[in-house]
Amino acid sequence: MTLLQICIFIIISLLTGAFIPKSIRGWFLIILNILAVFWLQPVSPIRHLDFWLPVVGIFLVVLAWFLSNQSCNHRQTWITIGIISGTIVAVSLLRYLDPICCITASRPPSIIQILIFAIPAILIICLINHQFPGNKRFTVIIFLVIVSIFIILKTDIFTYYSSKILRSLSGQDQSLASPLDLGWIGFSYLAFRLLHYLRDNQTGKIPANSLDEFFNYALFFPAYSAGPIERFPNFLKELRKPIENRCMRLWISPHDFYQGSIRIVNGVFKKFVLADTLAIIALNSQNAAQINSTFWAWVILYAYSFRIYFDFSGYTDIAIGLGRYMGVQLPENFASPYLKTNLAMFWNCWHITLAQWFRAYIFNPLTRFMRTAKFNFPAWLIILSAQFSTMILIGLWHGVTLNFAIWGLWHAAGLFFHNRWSDWRKSHHFYWENIQGVNKMLTFISWLITFNYTVLGWVWFALPNPQISGKILGILFGAK
Amino acid sequence: MNDDIISTLESFIAVKILKQPNRPVKEDEPLISSGLIDSFNLVDLALFIEDTFGVQIEDTELNVNTFDTLLQLSELIKSRMNI
Repeated sequence: MTLLQICIFIIISLLTGAFIPKSIRGWFLIILNILAVFWLQPVSPIRHLDFWLPVVGIFLVVLAWFLSNQSCNHRQTWITIGIISGTIVAVSLLRYLDPICCITASRPPSIIQILIFAIPAILIICLINHQFPGNKRFTVIIFLVIVSIFIILKTDIFTYYSSKILRSLSGQDQSLASPLDLGWIGFSYLAFRLLHYLRDNQTGKIPANSLDEFFNYALFFPAYSAGPIERFPNFLKELRKPIENRCMRLWISPHDFYQGSIRIVNGVFKKFVLADTLAIIALNSQNAAQINSTFWAWVILYAYSFRIYFDFSGYTDIAIGLGRYMGVQLPENFASPYLKTNLAMFWNCWHITLAQWFRAYIFNPLTRFMRTAKFNFPAWLIILSAQFSTMILIGLWHGVTLNFAIWGLWHAAGLFFHNRWSDWRKSHHFYWENIQGVNKMLTFISWLITFNYTVLGWVWFALPNPQISGKILGILFGAK
Repeated sequence: MNDDIISTLESFIAVKILKQPNRPVKEDEPLISSGLIDSFNLVDLALFIEDTFGVQIEDTELNVNTFDTLLQLSELIKSRMNI
């Protein structure tokens, strides 16, 4: 998000929070969310792709809801469908209004092209609604479709060939295809919200909900591009909670206004002052290729470590603040991770909602499966398997590259070592560790090791390939 | 009943997870947010609760948002046992 986009979102969120009554806020939010999703999508060299990617995202959201809800022949559902369709059509019609064209990054396609997509899309939704609501097989198919799109978008070779196909469909030069053509903003977060909803709905853990509530959860614009990944039941509670302590007949409470403003100011400062300043000297593939001083290698690495923290947590602060303006409290995503004294605590405080997602759907089920299996797996093997599979997947969530996988491995190895160490320490106590000064010293050493282990891990994360990461690690430890 | 649940949980955590049978675990002591119980131990705790009290703690609930103290955990168990 740019500073201009954030300023406009602040105004819109504040006006929505203050003047739009709860009774119609759901429908109003649908319009805002759709407009924001189109607006945030960056331009693509492939014709009209910056229009179609958000449309496909919206379609997947609606499809996921219809697949998961059996009693949806309500007037409210079809009003919601009408609002969604109407807003998409309105966005496309802006192509005819030159002075205000366009909310999308490039001119949207013609209404005929939209109808060619819309008619089969509506037919699919009607078919599912009438014939297969709650059908497990279709749910699995959509689940796999979302995972497949996710893998395609995160893997350069697949995005390259997808770009070629899309270019050929739009009559453009295929030789210019590039993996960068398919930049689908927010899809990583949208996909994980949809997967969570489809999975938990199958196990009966999702409370009854309407299409407008789910739509606003999946595409809630403050959290659309950079999270956090809220769980649907929690979001629903926030959406439905009554507004208390109204002031001057406005719908926003003074407390929400105050807390939201503090978070936004904090977030803007972190992102646009601290992170953007640090970005000037932070580690990247250009300065990594040129540097040969150990001292400066540490400086640019520390700069990167703080830049990525301030950047990401700044966006989260802004998202939480915008949500507060509209009466929705989003979950925290960071809780002073660099101050933690072990790696397990770091992962309880870094990108919290993503780590919780992976714990809920990968780590815990795998651990439970191995713990209750007929074969008696040793504890260390269960921990090793669960930590490594979870952390490698967290790494690959950022992109299917060798370096992201190694970053995941780096943290898995650290977590595994920490787990074994703390297990050993439970049964080994020394008299001197309870002496106050010694205790403080041990805590400091634990923090120092944890912080620097995390910092060194960024060498894999920030750079594009193992060769250059290996070179920087060598320089950091004195190699010439 | 609440005391029974808490003392059963406390004993399991002290003996099996912390491996310090004499260590008291206060009912309002943070377990997850303090790092006292890690992700692996949480699954063991859930399995113990399922075996002992016959209530299900889902994988998606093993986090600080669902419970963080013995008191919160015992309330969750009681609500599932319809006590």
